[in-house]
Amino acid sequence: MHRTAKTVAAILLAGATALAAESAAAADDKKAVFPVLVPITGFLALEGTAQRNGAVLALDEGIDGVAARYEVQDTGTSPEVAVNALLRALSRDEVTAVAASIFGTQMLAMMPVAAEAEVPLLTVSGTAKLTEMGNPWVFRFFPTDAVVKVAQARYIVEELGKKRPAIIYQTTAYGQSGQAHLLAAFEKLGAKVVYEEGLAPDVKDMLPALTKALAADPDVLVLHLHSGLTALFVRQAKANGTDLPIVAGSAMHQPTTAALLEPAELAGVCAESGSSPISGGSPEMNAFAETYRVRFDAEPDAFALGQYDAMRMALTAIAEGAATPEALREKLATTEYRGLAMTYKSDGTGNMAHDAVIVCYDGESRIPHIAARYENVDGAR
Amino acid sequence: MDGTVLLQLLLNALSLGAAYGLVALGFALVIGATGAVNFAQGDLVMAGGLLTVALASLLPVDGLLLLPLVVLAMAGLGLLVCALAYLPFRNAPPVSVFVSTIAVGILLQNGANGLFGAAPRAGPPLLSGGEVGFGGLVLDRQSLAVIVAAVLLAGGTWLLLHRSQIGRRMRATAQDPEMARAMGVNTTRTIALTFALATALAGAAGLLLSNRYFVTPVEGTNLMLKAYIAVVVGGWGRIGGALAGAMLVAGFEVIVSSVLSYPVAEAGLYICVLLLLLLRPQGVFGEALGRRV
Repeated sequence: MHRTAKTVAAILLAGATALAAESAAAADDKKAVFPVLVPITGFLALEGTAQRNGAVLALDEGIDGVAARYEVQDTGTSPEVAVNALLRALSRDEVTAVAASIFGTQMLAMMPVAAEAEVPLLTVSGTAKLTEMGNPWVFRFFPTDAVVKVAQARYIVEELGKKRPAIIYQTTAYGQSGQAHLLAAFEKLGAKVVYEEGLAPDVKDMLPALTKALAADPDVLVLHLHSGLTALFVRQAKANGTDLPIVAGSAMHQPTTAALLEPAELAGVCAESGSSPISGGSPEMNAFAETYRVRFDAEPDAFALGQYDAMRMALTAIAEGAATPEALREKLATTEYRGLAMTYKSDGTGNMAHDAVIVCYDGESRIPHIAARYENVDGAR
Repeated sequence: MDGTVLLQLLLNALSLGAAYGLVALGFALVIGATGAVNFAQGDLVMAGGLLTVALASLLPVDGLLLLPLVVLAMAGLGLLVCALAYLPFRNAPPVSVFVSTIAVGILLQNGANGLFGAAPRAGPPLLSGGEVGFGGLVLDRQSLAVIVAAVLLAGGTWLLLHRSQIGRRMRATAQDPEMARAMGVNTTRTIALTFALATALAGAAGLLLSNRYFVTPVEGTNLMLKAYIAVVVGGWGRIGGALAGAMLVAGFEVIVSSVLSYPVAEAGLYICVLLLLLLRPQGVFGEALGRRV
């Protein structure tokens, strides 16, 4: 009995000591607050949800030496909601940095507020203007069209040997930016664009566009469309018996897009992207994909991985001593970080991602393989 | 453009028009019965599409077999929409119903987003199988199936309205609710049935569209716009006009975009609607109600 009491006391003492040590360590941890302000509802909910998941996963995993807190706020579809969410977050806490909306219009509205509050915005938004406005508080962890569209065009011309592309793009700001970069890249590569047409997001029937594109006698179909329209076009092309290769925009790499099509319909279809987590490539990437699946019951995409890497880079910077938002901004702007998707480094304007991949489907599964990698495409790293 | 492509384009236009027609038909039914615009109609189509996706995951069968289930469930939802978004506001200014149906639409969108996520989803095909031969031409079986299903549903609706006691009550309530009430028609019940029928048609349209064009939680707004245009073109509150208007809208979209371009087709459609409102505001086939709001 006496021995038992001593044993219990020893265990309690050891436990108390461990708890005290942990508390002391926790007390020494650097505090960091990261509002996650992303569109979870509305027309960008798919991409916004992936962005949220990536941020949440990184913040939940955390990093030694940093006690991170976060709160997710839905920014919906309007700039006012995003700005209000940011103002609310800034008024409640000493914010370290913000995981900020993938929706460029919301980013443009949030940027002056962030600059005034001197808080970094970490985003995967593709809107080119974000990093062209001289705002030092914006950091983009997804390759811009200047990277991915060049990679897409180079793959078509250099790897597939195609010189007569037909381009189908979206008439939104996203689509027009991609189209402009594709045209410039093809011209530089000596390819002649034989047909181009813009589609509004609510277009249902793809046969008119396909018919006119095929009438121009292209040797490859190049898409720069949102998820649903990409799948509609691929399905229509396959139903039409078209055997031309299709090289699509990053929407086609998203597992949710591939899920809309039968594996056979995906044969010969490729896509550009910043990364493709489900394609694997390293044990760390496989672990990320598996953790993501377990946590969110969904497949990860490049947006999720980009935001994950962004938060990991911020946490690492804080752990290394960037205790204030200004110190974090300085660290993000000047250091290189090796993430899961690629190595990130600012080009001086906040563009951190400079690599792209081309993924292709084999017609037997919905998991693409990486067909080509393009590193440091814009020469900024 | 060879014959097969031309025929497939026409078939696509008919197929799209048939699905739009069911949306517009439900929309026009509610206008007829209440004089109010149900701005949730597009979102109800989306709800029907996602319900189809959910049912298909439990019962992996052709869409045709799921159609009765979807129609029944959506009719129930229609009764709920009527109870929540119309009846409490029936004596209030019409703008109250606009706002309440917009609110229902937003609730449906966000509810769908929460339940299903934002990704596009594909429903099951109406009938399995890819293509069918027709006079030496190979045509898409789904397009044909959608047209046949939509025609049967629209025909069934016409029979219900014109050959049944319930239909006569619905039409009486639509034409003159006060007189119908004086003649002993329970107008509240009749209006609730109209909502149920309109929502069932929206559900059927959602099922028909979900395989060929996919479905997302934010799909409803565009469909609502197409239904609104179809009703304006066909004549405000005119049931047959709504169907014809939907066919004209889909035909215009597909044909003009084939010959010119999608942006021209879209701009042209709205210019035509503006001209129609200017030159013949009662629509191509005339206005049934004469109480446009």
